[in-house]
Amino acid sequence: MELQAVLMAAGGGSRMTDLTYNTPKPMLPVGNKPVIWYPLNLLERVGFEEVIVITTKEVQKMMSTDSKIKEVRMKLDVVCIQEDGDMGTADALRHIQQKIKTDILVLSCDLITDVALHEVVDLFRAHNATMAMLMSKTHEFTETVPGQKGKKKTAEQRDFVGVDHSGKRLLFMANEADLEDGLSIRKSIMRKHPRMHIKTGLEDAHLYCLKKAVVDFLTENKSISSIRGELVPYLVRKQFSKTTNSSKIKDDTDDQSQKKTDNVANHELVISSRDEGLLQLAQERSCWNDHRGDMSEAYHGGKLRCYVHIMDQGLCFRVNTLAAYIEANRLAPKLFEEPAVHPSAVISDRCQMGSDSIIGEKCQIADKTSIKRATIGNYSSIKEKVKVANSIIMHHVTIEEGCNIQGSVICSNAVIGRGADLKYCLVGNGQRIDAESERTNEVIVGTNQLMEI
Amino acid sequence: MSGKGGKQSRMSDRKATGDEDEEHPLQAVLVADSFNRRFFPVTKDQPRALLPLGNIAMIDYTLEFLTSTGVQETFVFCCWMAPQIKEHLLKSKWCRPTSPNTVHIITSELYRSLGDVLRDVDAKSLVRSDFVLIYGDVVSNIDVSQALQEHRHRRKMEKNISVMTMVFKESSPGHRSRCEEDDIIVAMDSKTHRVLHYQKTQGLKKLQFPMNIFHSTSDEFEIRHDLLDCHISICSPQVAELFTDNFDYQTRDDFVRGILVNEEILGNQIHMHVTKDGYGVRVSNLLMYDSVSSDLVRRWVYPLTPEANFTDHKGHCCTFSRHNVYRGSGVSLGHGSQMEENVLIGCDTSIGANCHISNSVIGNNCTIGDNVILDHTYIWNNVHIASNVTINQSVVCDRVVVKDGVTLNKQCVLAFNVVIGPNISLPEGTVLSMHHPEEEEEDDDEFLSDDAEVGQSKDKTKQKVFNPKEVGEEGKGYVWKANSLDDTEDEELAHCLWGLVLNPDPESESEASEPEDPDDPVIPSPEMDDVKVFQMEVLGTLQRGLEENIGCDNLVLEINSLKYAYNITLKEVMQILTRVVLDYPFQQQGPQLTTAQYVALLLPLLKKWAPVFKNYVKRAQDHLDCLSAFEEHFLEAESHWAAMVKVLMNMYQLEILEEEMILRWFSQGATTDKSRQLRKNQGLQKFIQWLEEAEESSEEEA
Repeated sequence: MELQAVLMAAGGGSRMTDLTYNTPKPMLPVGNKPVIWYPLNLLERVGFEEVIVITTKEVQKMMSTDSKIKEVRMKLDVVCIQEDGDMGTADALRHIQQKIKTDILVLSCDLITDVALHEVVDLFRAHNATMAMLMSKTHEFTETVPGQKGKKKTAEQRDFVGVDHSGKRLLFMANEADLEDGLSIRKSIMRKHPRMHIKTGLEDAHLYCLKKAVVDFLTENKSISSIRGELVPYLVRKQFSKTTNSSKIKDDTDDQSQKKTDNVANHELVISSRDEGLLQLAQERSCWNDHRGDMSEAYHGGKLRCYVHIMDQGLCFRVNTLAAYIEANRLAPKLFEEPAVHPSAVISDRCQMGSDSIIGEKCQIADKTSIKRATIGNYSSIKEKVKVANSIIMHHVTIEEGCNIQGSVICSNAVIGRGADLKYCLVGNGQRIDAESERTNEVIVGTNQLMEI
Repeated sequence: MSGKGGKQSRMSDRKATGDEDEEHPLQAVLVADSFNRRFFPVTKDQPRALLPLGNIAMIDYTLEFLTSTGVQETFVFCCWMAPQIKEHLLKSKWCRPTSPNTVHIITSELYRSLGDVLRDVDAKSLVRSDFVLIYGDVVSNIDVSQALQEHRHRRKMEKNISVMTMVFKESSPGHRSRCEEDDIIVAMDSKTHRVLHYQKTQGLKKLQFPMNIFHSTSDEFEIRHDLLDCHISICSPQVAELFTDNFDYQTRDDFVRGILVNEEILGNQIHMHVTKDGYGVRVSNLLMYDSVSSDLVRRWVYPLTPEANFTDHKGHCCTFSRHNVYRGSGVSLGHGSQMEENVLIGCDTSIGANCHISNSVIGNNCTIGDNVILDHTYIWNNVHIASNVTINQSVVCDRVVVKDGVTLNKQCVLAFNVVIGPNISLPEGTVLSMHHPEEEEEDDDEFLSDDAEVGQSKDKTKQKVFNPKEVGEEGKGYVWKANSLDDTEDEELAHCLWGLVLNPDPESESEASEPEDPDDPVIPSPEMDDVKVFQMEVLGTLQRGLEENIGCDNLVLEINSLKYAYNITLKEVMQILTRVVLDYPFQQQGPQLTTAQYVALLLPLLKKWAPVFKNYVKRAQDHLDCLSAFEEHFLEAESHWAAMVKVLMNMYQLEILEEEMILRWFSQGATTDKSRQLRKNQGLQKFIQWLEEAEESSEEEA
């Protein structure tokens, strides 16, 4: 086994609480499949046979009953962590350290992508990298988002990602928020990599290949709690720090604090790998070089290397906001060739249905309905003369006669009263919309849900 | 690199088409002065533009480059030794009536910098459209027509936004043709090729880029350290105007910095053109002279090769044979002498027997004796070298006489007319000149002010004697040492002639000495806890309040907002405020304050901030909290117990604290030994007693 897959599925979905109030993020339906199914499918397609899934008790329970998850043939090794233990992704890795025997592939449960996964893994293999990760161009969400006034502001802090001339080696990574005093780069880095591309329009897909030694390093270094927030920037920085590149630092440890010497020991761990001796030999004997302009050894003798695969084309984004969720429902079904209508659904002949709609298991759709660009979840029933367009309807939803639903998201177990007119609304779990009501651009959730926020 | 065959035809094509849509012929401004003294003392006798490089004056390379790019009118600006340059140009092919490039020579003693030249260009309104700006010591074969087209296109698309296109050549760091001192870092917009940041990197360890350069609409930038600044720029006529408007612009670097910094105000932009092939280097010091000379002999600057005789001098032709050996006409070579490789020998030079010559350039009319070893040596014209001489990586100027048995170690310079030897070995880096170093200073004055007395300095020179230890028995010349020159305030002179080459591998050294990155925390530091941060913020607020004389109301407002920001309870606010104020004198002056000083500092502060306290200290519990913080503070500062009473008294008088509460605190608060001890303090007891009495009396009155 070359890589062990670790799926992080314990996140609560804090950026879309309206949706995740009753359904945890991994189980939100996207194209009538839970979100977590997509990364599992990605792994299965490339031939993984076993996945460690880190999640909560609640999700585990739901997963065990979900029909789509049951279709996954891989062996799922589900590890539960405490729900409100405030555990970061790195903490979670530390938690399962015992299970990790080789290098790992970590990914987040909300990743929806059609990436050729081997691109990332190949970088990891080819350069004997410490870390390889996936990034993509920031996805632009085009759909109107319920309850959102005006255009979404793009004032979010940009990530600055620096790569070398080949666009693969990751040299620099920082968030705009940390760069108030300007961007600063050591000259020695520029001498080694004289042409650095700084890209700002990228998004981290939260998919990382990590050396086993990094996990060991994490167990030693308990202060790192998040992979994206702390570990990755740390590794990127460490590529060029001297401690990792030369071993002579050991000599002058006397004046350093105990903590620091501990760290030095950790770095030694980071750089060592199984075939170190052979690799060294191969590098010595080879005339191959990763850079031009001077004759110094490949990688300039650095042993810690980070690489990034940047997707130019294709689909890659994370379902972590309402906008992303709507977009995912629109795009995800196109990734797979599956019948749009579940065989067990009962659909009246006199229903106008666009080919871009999906109808779930055991749905009942009555006469004179019109369904366009919509996803309708399992066990939902849609009564006569209902018009649904550009909407997502989750499971067990009842829509009474004559409703008009447009650009909305309706969560599970909701009931929409007769003749209601909903435009760009989000209807929370189990909500009941009065008959004949007209709602536009609203978020309709239960009062107790509001309190929580 | 020799794939430049089609260049000539491309040039003519371009010219033909260029003339149709461009009314004005392409113009160039050539600055035949470096405005620095890097080649001193060599340039005391000959201006830099006329120094021979491969036996041809440098300015000829520049003019040839301009002509081959399609420049039809060139303005040559001269200052230092202008008559010599003028004479040279008038004799050259550029001033013949058939020359495709009309050369105008403009001289003035008053030019002090590139800025002056361009201001003069503006004043005389010489340029009519885009022009090429170049120095007289640039050797290049770059085809700038593409850069020119891009520049014109940009100017067409966005009128007068782009004012300059800088030409760079791609070359890795540490490349021989890159001048260490001239190393640059450029931040550019990947799509538009706009220069966002331009900086010399010499002596820097960290490269800083201000964030505002990344605020443009693009999302892709490049930071490039693999560029060699060719010092060729394509400028729009605005450049000259901008120099006039900004009289503080002296150099092109000033200009570039000014434009980039004021981009938002002036709206002018600078773009860049990067060429992958071609050659373009400015000979900015002797090390670069060495590199460019050897590149020239190795034919990297094709079609500008030594045998091409592009200057069209009669009798200056030479033949080219393998191993890059060039021989002028009338060269005689003695028996057993070898020209190993990369050797260029000028006309009518005779070489004796058993000489070894490699990687060297020898000028015209030189005589070289027997058993001479030359390596990386540049010998100019009319030089006499006797027998048994060894010269290593050195420059020997015109009319120098090197006598028997002389050894020149690396990086020696023998300036014009020096005589050396016999039987002497010059240490590495020796510079000899017929001009005395001290004369230099007076010259300097003369150079700057017109009315210096020339005669005086001449008298002095005559009195000086050559030191035979330095130049040999029959030698003539004075030793120049970069560091012996006493005007160290002049930065230009602090640099040595050869540039910063003596350090053989500056990279490795700079890296070795690089300290562990300070902003590279080994362990991410745990977040400061909110109370601590709040305390710091309160301290900062009060400090600012004092400095800027902010009213107490506003201070309260700020502290309140901080309270919400850090989620601090009212009790904590009280305690922290009290502590901060009581600690304030120590914070400002250090812990060594005496008790008297402490009180003197604190009391006015208390008075000033009393309203702030009153705002928070209202209920009975507030008083007690405040007092417990007070107690805590003094428990830590045991030596200042004497101050305690005064402070407490003051707080009482300012009506921050009520007597009832003070009494309650005094009687109840003691929980530890220390606080009991504190209460036994004499002064405090007296104060309490006084308070009790006052209360009694007031009760009585009531």
